[in-house]
Amino acid sequence: MSNTAATTKRNKKQALGPYGRVGQAVGELDDRLGVAKGGRVFLDKIFPDHWSFMLGEISLYSFVVLMATGVFLSLYFIPSTQQVIYHGSYKPLDGQWVSEAYKSTVSISFDVRGGLLIRQMHHWAADIFTGSIIVHMARIFFTGAFRKPRELNWIIGTTMLILAILEGFIGYSLPDDLISGTGLRIGYSIAESIPFVGSYLVTFLWGGQFPGTGIIIPRFFIIHVLIIPLVLIGLLSAHLGLLVRQKHTQFKGEGRTENNVVGSPMFPTFMAKTTGFLFMVTAATAILGAFTQINPIWQFGSYDASKISYAVQPDWYMGWLDGALRIMPSWELAFWGHTVPLEVFLPAVIFPGIVFQIAIMWPLIERRFTGDIAMHNLLDRPRDRPKRTAFGVAFFAMLFTLFAASSTDVLANFFHISLNVVLWFFRFAFFIVPIISGLVAYQLCREMQGVHDIGQRKRALIVHFSPEGEYSTVPSATRPDDERHELDPEPVPVRIDIEPLSNGGIRQPESSPTGARQVNR
Amino acid sequence: MSSRFLLPAGLLGVATLASLAMIFPGATASASGHADANQVSITPSHVTTRACGTVSVKGVTNAVPNAGNPFLSNSKTCLNGHLISYGNTAITYSNPPQSFISAGRQLFAQTCSSCHGNDANGVGPDGQATIGPNLQGVGAATVDFWVSTGRMPATDVKAVEAERKPSRLTPVQALELAAWVNSLDPSVPAVPNPHLRGADQSVGQDLFSLNCAACHTIEGSGDALAFGTNAPSLQDRQVTAQQVAEAVRTGPANMPRFSGNLSDAQVADITAYVTEKLQHPQNPGGVALGGVGPVAEGFVALLIGVGGLALICFWIGERSPKDDDDDEHTEGGDDPDPAKAQEYAQSGQEHA
Amino acid sequence: MSDADHQPSRTRVPMPVAALSDPHMGDAAKNPERTEQIIAVILFLAIVFFGVAGAAYWQNWSDWIFGGALGIGLFALGFGLTAWGKYLMPQGPFVEERHTLASTPEERDVMSAALVERSAVVVKRRRVLGGLFAAGAGVFGIVAAFPLIRSLGPVPGTSLETTGWRKGMVLVDSSGRPVRKETLVVGGIMTVYPKDTVNTETGFISDQGQAVDQTVLIRVSDQPFTTEPGRENWTPAGYVAYSKVCTHLGCPVGLYEQQLELLVCPCHQSMFNVRNGAVPQFGPAPRPLPQMYLGFNDDGYLIAMAPYDQAIGPGFWERNS
Repeated sequence: MSNTAATTKRNKKQALGPYGRVGQAVGELDDRLGVAKGGRVFLDKIFPDHWSFMLGEISLYSFVVLMATGVFLSLYFIPSTQQVIYHGSYKPLDGQWVSEAYKSTVSISFDVRGGLLIRQMHHWAADIFTGSIIVHMARIFFTGAFRKPRELNWIIGTTMLILAILEGFIGYSLPDDLISGTGLRIGYSIAESIPFVGSYLVTFLWGGQFPGTGIIIPRFFIIHVLIIPLVLIGLLSAHLGLLVRQKHTQFKGEGRTENNVVGSPMFPTFMAKTTGFLFMVTAATAILGAFTQINPIWQFGSYDASKISYAVQPDWYMGWLDGALRIMPSWELAFWGHTVPLEVFLPAVIFPGIVFQIAIMWPLIERRFTGDIAMHNLLDRPRDRPKRTAFGVAFFAMLFTLFAASSTDVLANFFHISLNVVLWFFRFAFFIVPIISGLVAYQLCREMQGVHDIGQRKRALIVHFSPEGEYSTVPSATRPDDERHELDPEPVPVRIDIEPLSNGGIRQPESSPTGARQVNR
Repeated sequence: MSSRFLLPAGLLGVATLASLAMIFPGATASASGHADANQVSITPSHVTTRACGTVSVKGVTNAVPNAGNPFLSNSKTCLNGHLISYGNTAITYSNPPQSFISAGRQLFAQTCSSCHGNDANGVGPDGQATIGPNLQGVGAATVDFWVSTGRMPATDVKAVEAERKPSRLTPVQALELAAWVNSLDPSVPAVPNPHLRGADQSVGQDLFSLNCAACHTIEGSGDALAFGTNAPSLQDRQVTAQQVAEAVRTGPANMPRFSGNLSDAQVADITAYVTEKLQHPQNPGGVALGGVGPVAEGFVALLIGVGGLALICFWIGERSPKDDDDDEHTEGGDDPDPAKAQEYAQSGQEHA
Repeated sequence: MSDADHQPSRTRVPMPVAALSDPHMGDAAKNPERTEQIIAVILFLAIVFFGVAGAAYWQNWSDWIFGGALGIGLFALGFGLTAWGKYLMPQGPFVEERHTLASTPEERDVMSAALVERSAVVVKRRRVLGGLFAAGAGVFGIVAAFPLIRSLGPVPGTSLETTGWRKGMVLVDSSGRPVRKETLVVGGIMTVYPKDTVNTETGFISDQGQAVDQTVLIRVSDQPFTTEPGRENWTPAGYVAYSKVCTHLGCPVGLYEQQLELLVCPCHQSMFNVRNGAVPQFGPAPRPLPQMYLGFNDDGYLIAMAPYDQAIGPGFWERNS
């Protein structure tokens, strides 16, 4: 009995071919879409193994988390500034006039099961999203990965950073709590400061003088949940599409040339690692969301334009703008019945405009200086390009100084010095810190260039005293960790020993990834 | 293998600890617990009450209901022409008993007179103005606030503002001083005792965010203000309900004095919100990160979030490949060799 | 069924690197069974923690248990899979040749030729047609922008220069109580609104009252004083009132330091001296806060004697200062 059953099973298996159901499915798909050839090349796609190439994946996966948690939140959030009286779980607000938006956000936090966790995951993921974009961008910048042919991808990336910051600010404003409402009020005033069009811009957007006709929260909502995410998804697809088309850059090293990519294949190694990493990024937001509280809006109360808290600060990625506004002197231009509020317009419109312009145009700016029009697939070590590295360090130092300037009050309180002193300090630091850090970075790069085996662990020198009375030194043995046994890179191997079936249903694969050339042509 | 992680992991750990230390600077200091002893309620003797005589009310020029003064108060208790207590269901204001006066005089001579003058009038024995201001006519609540919060006796008389510190004097001694100073020129407000049971935290939250949060921050953490002044933390659980009400009613140092614009009931509401919610905040979302707000959150997101994930990347990925061509190092400079650049460019063109 | 029956299906495909002897297997070769066991335990842990998360949700335990279990479960799942990839799958270096993106010069020429030449067939005046088409598209763009932009909201007009304050309006606090001479003592501050913006019954303050009309009322002294020449009797009984909207970015200037007699903006720390007409002493604010002309009416209530004499709040292009 069991014997015959086994025999039929075996027969069935044989009918399926050597690759069983998977082979069957590939066959069915290939009949209709012709995926086998290209798909095979895709499975062989090589991803460089260097850890810094995964930084961008943090952004990608936190974006996935943002979308998932955002869909959940949008099911409960009411984008309306209609004033209602709060009666809910959080007693210190009971009986107060609050907006619908605020009420629904408090209700997500207290009354929807799991709602607070999702809300906090969403906010943490947003902070990680912008943060990892910047870290990823720094890696690209300092290693020169933006050079030809990847200028377009750099521009797409920086555009996504700007959109991410904008998206974060708008999302932060949606709950209509006291802190974010103050931020929105500041945003209104910044837009208002633009010469010629400012006042029109704000009355159009807000539907009138601040706080407008209650239209801004619904408008921000649709921008936050539909328009910017849609643009981001489009740009993200282009970003990844270009990455596949142009292939990865890589660091210099054994067997690595301008004309190849060395690393691990898409399937199975990279796919396992990156899928695992998706779960770990999600886990990071979940753990932060579970154990660390973020933006406890119930403690702030609903927005009321005449209420204010001291030490209000925007989310960290807007901090540098806040710092710029704080340290700017009060230079207002008034002439012929017109006013140009330079104390706002310069630090909050012109300055970020310049910063983002430099960021976006950097590949072109650098090319203008170096005249380098070559194709680059091998990365620079930061120390080998001291001028670029120094500029980047100075740029980040400037932004960090401004970020620190956004907490002048906290610093004054912490160090017990006068707020006024701290402010003057930052007015000078804004100019001095970037110059000094740039010069230090430049010098460090120069020094590091001259040192052999930099980055390797130092090895002790053993001094020998020969019978002839001669001293000589020999480096001691390397530690086990320092030894690098790298294999010679070779094409991803393929199985080639299948017996062709009698019906000839299976083509005999024989290729190696060099086949990619023919396919991608 | 594992030792490769030591440096980045160590750096991350140090940075995390440093940021935590910034976020919770008072973590160790605030652990010293409650100070219920500060709360001394005075039970006025109702034995013989007579109509109150004239009460000097410096700083209050007319009958304003609910402003911390006895006018129009619905329960006034007097003894021998001295105002003992007054108030309503929200706050009872009481002057310290007269028996405290003699002890207060001695204590004042020992601890206060060097700065405020022997008669607490801001005039020294030489007829010159003393360092400290005139205290006559400030009311018992003012004296009790400054002494019970440890701001007086001051340790550094030249400081811009006296900082809160553990009080050198007991709560009873504070009341003794208040009794003597008030006996020199009887005034109001007397020491308030807010009744928090009927207070409405919601009204308190509303009024706190309108009137108090501008200096003390919405979470009550306090911060540095102009020219070296600062708003003290209200999250500190040493801050008693009595002290909150005293501060609101007397306006110590740079704090504005709230009188007729906040009724006693409203002050009790604010006091209830401060002592019951700000000092015991509801943090269902986890660690509150010190109430510093988005900057602390940013640090956590960057260091623990992005930093931790980068460390995981560091584990998943490989470290840099060994350079096969060491001569590249010495090349230096930002301008690539033009000949080489040309070669690359051509390789890009001609690789077909 | 015996094990032998399953044997054929378990025959591994002899991919060269799938063998442990292959150098690409690297770390896995050291102790594959143990690695596999550890990963199995980790993945099992993930299942356990997801179970805990489910129970936490079902029983409505606190969010940190639910989220923590979910997070740890997800981490274990991800960690297990990644470890599987890192330790039990063939690692690099493998190499892939980079194909050249650029086409041959001939192919480029063919493309360019198609672009340039095809559109020029038959047509004599390509420029005119092209120009007309571009003009048409441009006009469409401008016309389409009207509903897209102009419909969003009203033009500002003079709305940014006016507030709700009128001559004779009574000042009330956030609960609708009017202000008498003795309401504040010296060193006191309160936020006031025009009487008609506050609903005394419900405690509701209109948006306009909150955002535009909000005014700080401070009692600086017992006696009237002069903040600036020309404002001699604007401070009856030592009361002075300024617009609460900061001239820098519009935050409410609610921070008053009574000994320094300074109003400080809580957002960017601009400092205004209330005794001298709120002229900025420090910080980024460019202009003094507009001062309100105060007086008492016949009932003894504090009133506005005139609307603000200038636009309140931050600067904008049309502001005439």
